Amino acid sequence: MKKFKRIAIANRGEVAVRIIHACDEMGIETVLLHSEADVQTRAYRMATKKVCIGPASTAESYLNIPANVNGALAGGADAVHPGFGFLSENADFAEACEKAGLIFIGPSPKATRTLGDKVSCKEIAKKLGLPLVPGYEGENQSVAVLLQEAEKIGFPVIVKAAAGGGGRGMKVLKSAGEARELIESAQREAHSAFGSPKVFLEKYLDHAKHIEFQIFGDASGKVVHLQDRECSVQRRHQKIIEEALSPSLSIEQRRVMGESAVRLAEQVGYRGAGTVEFLLQDGKYYLLEVNTRLQVEHTVTEMVMGVDLVKAQILTAQGEPIFSDRQLVAPRGHSIECRIYAENPYQGGVPSTGLLGRVQWPEGPGRRFEYGFEDGDVITSFYDSMIAKVIVWDESRVRTIQKMKQVLRDSVVFGVHTNIPYLMEILSHPEFVQGTMTTKFIENHFSEPLRIPDLTADELQFAEASWRQLKPQTVTAGEESILSPWTSYWRGI
Amino acid sequence: MMPIAQMVRGVLWVHFQGRTFIYEDPAEKNFSRGQSSGTKSGDLVSPMPGKIIKVLKSLGDPVNVGDVVLVMEAMKMEYSLKSEVTGEVTMIKCQVGDQVALGKTLVQVKEKAGA
Repeated sequence: MKKFKRIAIANRGEVAVRIIHACDEMGIETVLLHSEADVQTRAYRMATKKVCIGPASTAESYLNIPANVNGALAGGADAVHPGFGFLSENADFAEACEKAGLIFIGPSPKATRTLGDKVSCKEIAKKLGLPLVPGYEGENQSVAVLLQEAEKIGFPVIVKAAAGGGGRGMKVLKSAGEARELIESAQREAHSAFGSPKVFLEKYLDHAKHIEFQIFGDASGKVVHLQDRECSVQRRHQKIIEEALSPSLSIEQRRVMGESAVRLAEQVGYRGAGTVEFLLQDGKYYLLEVNTRLQVEHTVTEMVMGVDLVKAQILTAQGEPIFSDRQLVAPRGHSIECRIYAENPYQGGVPSTGLLGRVQWPEGPGRRFEYGFEDGDVITSFYDSMIAKVIVWDESRVRTIQKMKQVLRDSVVFGVHTNIPYLMEILSHPEFVQGTMTTKFIENHFSEPLRIPDLTADELQFAEASWRQLKPQTVTAGEESILSPWTSYWRGI
Repeated sequence: MMPIAQMVRGVLWVHFQGRTFIYEDPAEKNFSRGQSSGTKSGDLVSPMPGKIIKVLKSLGDPVNVGDVVLVMEAMKMEYSLKSEVTGEVTMIKCQVGDQVALGKTLVQVKEKAGA
């Protein structure tokens, strides 16, 4: 058992902040491995030490294995936390860390290779008799062969990055006509996001729910699951809203799926946090994939299960058992996470970049905000558009939805557009409220950009008054100032 | 919650009773929540800052409504730019690998009369 003195963080944004919080609380110092573009960020301001590992381009910085290893060594770290995305599921990186004498906070390279590679994961699942979606996962990656295999499976077919996650490198092929273009696009996205263009094909289930189990293998070798999450609200295969537990599972389904997840992880002696993803359609479940890392939506599990998964990861890497001598608690209440994306909901979600003005999150009981950027930081087009996560907890699902809506109403982000108006619409949709949504929910109900609502008379009056007071004066154009809401002409409305 | 307003780079941002909107010079544009003009145009304009990944049409190529003309990448996602008109490519102002700003005209399609 070895207590870490300093952990290097090979990531950015809100997850880097999340890891720094855990380290601070455990008395561990941090080294942020950042790109040139990420100096003015919250994680940079919080980390004990910072090492610049390269230019903005992810290939040269956050995906560059030698740069990250050298950065961690230069920063005097004894362990590396990869967060999620980037190199978090890259076994070569885990190996390179170990070779350099650094402890990689995550599963072994072998576990990552077998479960993280969707192809070999399916082979193990097959041996265990777990239900799988029919597909093609061959080595031959020529577009011609992929097209042929897609025809064999029968459209619609989904093409996915073998090394991927997060919706990148993932496309639905509805017919042969558009297949070639989409397969090539998936290969490019896969290469750019994960460093490997390898893709595989699956029959596309068109009214399935996305349900996943949080698994954890501790240092004693014990693997447990910490219940499930539902993440059916997805757009372009990117999750938008997640919750724990799923409102859709029966007790029996939960038991069977949870056991399947644990059995799969046990096959490789899984250590650390992981997620086993399933699709559930017409009462039948199918294994989708395993993510061998912390998940963006780990927060909702933490809220209902009373655990800290990041600390659990660190303790496990230090060799301390966590779950072997501890009775797991029953889930308590309900939790929902909304991902805040910098995008324009009135233009179909195109990314929105620029200087952040005021950013304000409404604190309160059962509310949690994970964010990587504050007033005066700049959102660039180099990285993912997720700028924050809003997580709430309450006693029941209905109350959790109510709370989330109020929290989003009171959240302020100026300078870039966000998907908050879009999230508000989703949270009010009857299908979401009933909990019957499938992964087609967005496509079925929100395929068009949101309609721009008219300004109310009150809104217009306030805006005009503010404009008169704050409008740029010739030379000082662009200067920022905050209008106090207590000014004379606003008081009293 | 009290309403808030702030100027960020010459644009007025307003949060009022749970809604955020931007307000530009009333003399010119009135308000907007970031919409584009609703008119159909043969100009393909970058909807965001990003990188050109693919140019699928060449000068003089015929184009149908809905054809993908360009593929851009921003925030690690690809976006296809489709033509809103049927016609012919008359100008290409970008090439693969270019980093382009928001609102730049990238390709012009001249609408075919009667199409």
